[in-house]
Amino acid sequence: MPETPDDIRIHLDGVSLCYRLAKQRIPSIKEYAIHWMKGALVYEKLWALRDVDLTVREGETVGIVGRNGAGKSTLLKVISQVLKPSKGTIEVHGIISPILELGTGFDHELTGLENIHLNALLLGRSRREIQEKLEEIVDFSGLGDFIRSPIRNYSSGMLARLGFSIATAWLPEILILDEVLSVGDAAFTEKCEERMRTFHHAGITILVVSHSDKVIRETCTRCIWLDAGNLRADGETEEVLDLYMHGGHEPSERAAGQLPQTSS
Amino acid sequence: MLDIYRYRDLVRALVARELKVRYRRSAIGFLWTMLQPLLTMLVLQLVFSQIFAIRLTYGNYPIFALAGILFWNFFSQSIVSSMNSLRGNAQLLQKLPVPKAVFPLATVISGVVNLVFALVPLLAILLITGHPIRPALLFLPISIFLVALFTLGAGLLLSPMAVFFSDVVELIGVMLMLLMYLTPVIYPIEIVPEHIRWVVRYNPIRSILEVFRDPIYQGEVPPLSHLAVCAAIAVFAFVLGAWVFRKSSDRIPFYV
Repeated sequence: MPETPDDIRIHLDGVSLCYRLAKQRIPSIKEYAIHWMKGALVYEKLWALRDVDLTVREGETVGIVGRNGAGKSTLLKVISQVLKPSKGTIEVHGIISPILELGTGFDHELTGLENIHLNALLLGRSRREIQEKLEEIVDFSGLGDFIRSPIRNYSSGMLARLGFSIATAWLPEILILDEVLSVGDAAFTEKCEERMRTFHHAGITILVVSHSDKVIRETCTRCIWLDAGNLRADGETEEVLDLYMHGGHEPSERAAGQLPQTSS
Repeated sequence: MLDIYRYRDLVRALVARELKVRYRRSAIGFLWTMLQPLLTMLVLQLVFSQIFAIRLTYGNYPIFALAGILFWNFFSQSIVSSMNSLRGNAQLLQKLPVPKAVFPLATVISGVVNLVFALVPLLAILLITGHPIRPALLFLPISIFLVALFTLGAGLLLSPMAVFFSDVVELIGVMLMLLMYLTPVIYPIEIVPEHIRWVVRYNPIRSILEVFRDPIYQGEVPPLSHLAVCAAIAVFAFVLGAWVFRKSSDRIPFYV
């Protein structure tokens, strides 16, 4: 194995990921046995990532663009080690703080405050660490008295604020943001971008998935474009966005017939 | 393992949540945990001593049956809840790199807490029925530890299956019922006909059950040889369960 330089945070080598979807939905033991005996256990293979090579260094802020179903979220899940790749290898150096989609790990019956505890625990924080940061998290979220009411009463913007405040309360080495930045109101988005700049200056590696080219343009120094699981482009934000905006609407093998993604 | 240690505060919170849900839902939730085994015991008392006219060689039947039921409820409920715990937290498992074993672990721990609560009415009955209270009761924490280790092993072994196959939970429900009758939970082993008694005798769950019941019912600490066998069974179950769970844990997020 070649020696990796110290500043490499994420290294993917030929990573492919395949979802095996059973054609006959959800196997019960009985059905499984029947189909197995008939030799007719058919799985549809869906390659969500195909042979992706990617190296991200310390301090980079990388935007990830692509259509719905292009494999962006799958890539983030592989990097945050939720899903194990079917092929290829992945190395991650450093503590990851993932915010994947809105309200992951929130319990809607609990209050905002209780959810801060739960969510931070799910991110692997200890009670003492949470106690230390609690006030700061509440402050940053700007939720005020709402923090004491059950989050089923929250708007999606408020949930995003809470999620972002929790995940960024501790300085991670790698921060993963999946479509979180574009949901809050203007003032909060401004605050998030401010915090991300701080992180960027602190040398933290950040991965951002967004359908908003504005968010990508303003926060990322580098951008990659995923298309049907393939890495189509990797480079300067402007160049890649340009390629994506102009070339991205050409029907590719899997997304043929799908409506082009409009960015908001 | 280390991962789970790092997430210990999460496990604690999950246990607290499970207990809260259980006891908050109904006003008499807490009372119910204590009443339910008692009522079951009364029914069994009626059926076994009146209808089947079973006589125990030692002590009284209510204590025997209640201790058995407490064990069995803990064992079977923990297994079923462990199996549901992964499905129930599918959202999390697919999105966060949480060590997956925290969910069955939290389930079994909250089961232990419930079991400890349920010892209160048991003690009350010991007093009421004038059953001798012996120092052997102080051995119970060790018994409960062995019982819990064994149950955790079974839970870890079975919970991934519940993810891969949709009907396993029902199947296990039926198996558990069969197992209960193959274990002397509510009947003394002596009533089993000689020629098939070995099935019950060599059932490992019987050994585990007796480690829990002997200090209460016989008022005796189990003999060292029996303890050694039980410890071996519990450790084996745990190691096997942990191994299978670890082997299948990479595949879990794809199927939940």
